[in-house]
Amino acid sequence: MFATLMRYRVPAILALTLIIASLLVPDFATLTTLALGLDRSSAIGLVAVGLTVLLIAGQIDLSVGSVFAVSGIVAVMLQPSLGLLVSSIVGVLAGSLAGAINGFIVVRIGINSLVTTLATMLVFRSIAHWLTDSQPIPGTNILFSIQMSHIYAGLFTLRSALFLAAIVGLHLWLTRTVAGRYLFAVGSSRAAADASGIAAQRYLFGSFVFASTLAGAAGVLQSLTTNTGSPVYGSELTVAVIAAVVVGGTRLEGGIGSALGTLGGVLVIAALTTAMEFSSVPAYYQQVVSGVILILLIVLDRLFQGNGRVRGRSDAARLKGFQWRRS
Amino acid sequence: MRKFTRLAGLATAALLATTAIAGAKTVCYVTAADSHAYATPANEALAAKAAELGLEVLSLSQNFDVQTGTEQLNTCIARKADAIILWPLDPQAYIPGLARAQQAGIPSILINSPMADEVKPFIKSFTGPDVYEEGEMAAVALNEVLGGKGKIVIIAGQAGNGTTLGRVGGFVDKLKELGSGIEILDTVNADFDQQKALVASRDLITRFGDQIEGVYANDDTMARGFIDAWKEARGDAPVPPTVGINGQRDAFDSIRSGEMYSTIVQSPKLDGELAIETVAKILNGEEVGERLPIPLTVVTKANVDQVEPAF
Repeated sequence: MFATLMRYRVPAILALTLIIASLLVPDFATLTTLALGLDRSSAIGLVAVGLTVLLIAGQIDLSVGSVFAVSGIVAVMLQPSLGLLVSSIVGVLAGSLAGAINGFIVVRIGINSLVTTLATMLVFRSIAHWLTDSQPIPGTNILFSIQMSHIYAGLFTLRSALFLAAIVGLHLWLTRTVAGRYLFAVGSSRAAADASGIAAQRYLFGSFVFASTLAGAAGVLQSLTTNTGSPVYGSELTVAVIAAVVVGGTRLEGGIGSALGTLGGVLVIAALTTAMEFSSVPAYYQQVVSGVILILLIVLDRLFQGNGRVRGRSDAARLKGFQWRRS
Repeated sequence: MRKFTRLAGLATAALLATTAIAGAKTVCYVTAADSHAYATPANEALAAKAAELGLEVLSLSQNFDVQTGTEQLNTCIARKADAIILWPLDPQAYIPGLARAQQAGIPSILINSPMADEVKPFIKSFTGPDVYEEGEMAAVALNEVLGGKGKIVIIAGQAGNGTTLGRVGGFVDKLKELGSGIEILDTVNADFDQQKALVASRDLITRFGDQIEGVYANDDTMARGFIDAWKEARGDAPVPPTVGINGQRDAFDSIRSGEMYSTIVQSPKLDGELAIETVAKILNGEEVGERLPIPLTVVTKANVDQVEPAF
């Protein structure tokens, strides 16, 4: 019973939060809340999808919040000359370029990803301020922004549908494809992966580009939704995203993680925030409560993973016949 | 199990917060921050006045993060608030959220900081100080004390924030209008934070040193940051004439002691009260003006003993 509860700790906490909130807060348990909750988690969520891949590969990217801002700004700045669609694509590509820069420094030059992306985080943030002269830039089409906020079928905004699609896509890729399994192998032990003929460097580089591309896409969507490209966007984002991914059971050390876990992590954070906002809990208490629950979940994760079978890793391990060290 | 006790604690807190709500009309108040020299007294005055008027306030703090604020508007809508008071930190970003509130039949007003003109169809009113006028008043004061010439630095608030844009814009435009010979050496953002202003000022003093003949800070806390940095670097050398805004108590002390030249009194109490009173009128079906300002007073050594500090 206890082991089962620990194994399903993320859905359990999510369910508990939702049940308590709907019992205590009037109007919490409605479709509107769900729809708006999904919409608010989709910015964090899309970035978290990219970061899940990168964390499984054993790397980290602290610059996602800055890339989020830069991509949005690029998209908004180009709107007058290129139109909505093309400028948005260019904005996302700016994210990909940022990822390629991170990937190049980490993989080719061989600098630790924490240090690299700490530096590029500052550089990209400065670029955001430089491009905009530190002022938010208005987009050209406020009506489209209002359209972006529209809830379809009572449940989805365009953004939240994209986020859920990305989760499903990532889940299938990680669990059903050989490339997905190789990613776990690369994250578990790069040397072993190299030795068994996996192009580890390519996977690592690709992971950086993927993470930044999704951060860019999330930033462009945010700018379209708010009709603004702002140099301060995403400054609070990175910590929340890493928290969501880690709560979902993905390890900072690499080699372990799942898309559904990340979905759970994102939803837990969104549900906690929304429930506390609904009851007007001051922001600083909110952060204490969120922090405590985060620590609790991560400790539970360690206890469970320490005693039990290691998931995710074992499939990849069997595939290549590796002998894993116990964590 | 520990997590149950934790959650039970949270649940009790939530219960206490919500029991009072039944019956009264709920106003969703998306404020700039919980703990801030100006925002806190404004929030408190708003809450006190609301209790007097029999309104329930659901208070959400953005902690100066625009993205949080845009998401909190969603919470207000989902919570089916009867009205929204928004403290905007960006001229554009909240418009879709306010439009969504309007679709849901929830009237919204802005407090304290302005937004772009496109917001007008979506709000009933904007209450609070005219920040552009404050910038102009600060320009007149600094221009006067410097005799229409000299080199200055501007310590601005948060990038892109409506208050910052207004206070800097009004200041710069007014200098131009006055034909002033004042030259701006640099403008830095210190996010209305004393500590950040201290750090930024150290850099400015290192870079420009004695070239700095005057200082315009977007609020008194940042003016304090500059004064502290100056004393650190220059000891007892007189501080260049420093102009702040907000009229807080310690700025009054600095004006008396000569460390600061002037401030502009803008009362957070009146700011908070006016917003909730306006919302109460809207909920009673009364018409309200689209722009409701609060009074402003320039304070220098000449009148420092006749004026009440704002907070």
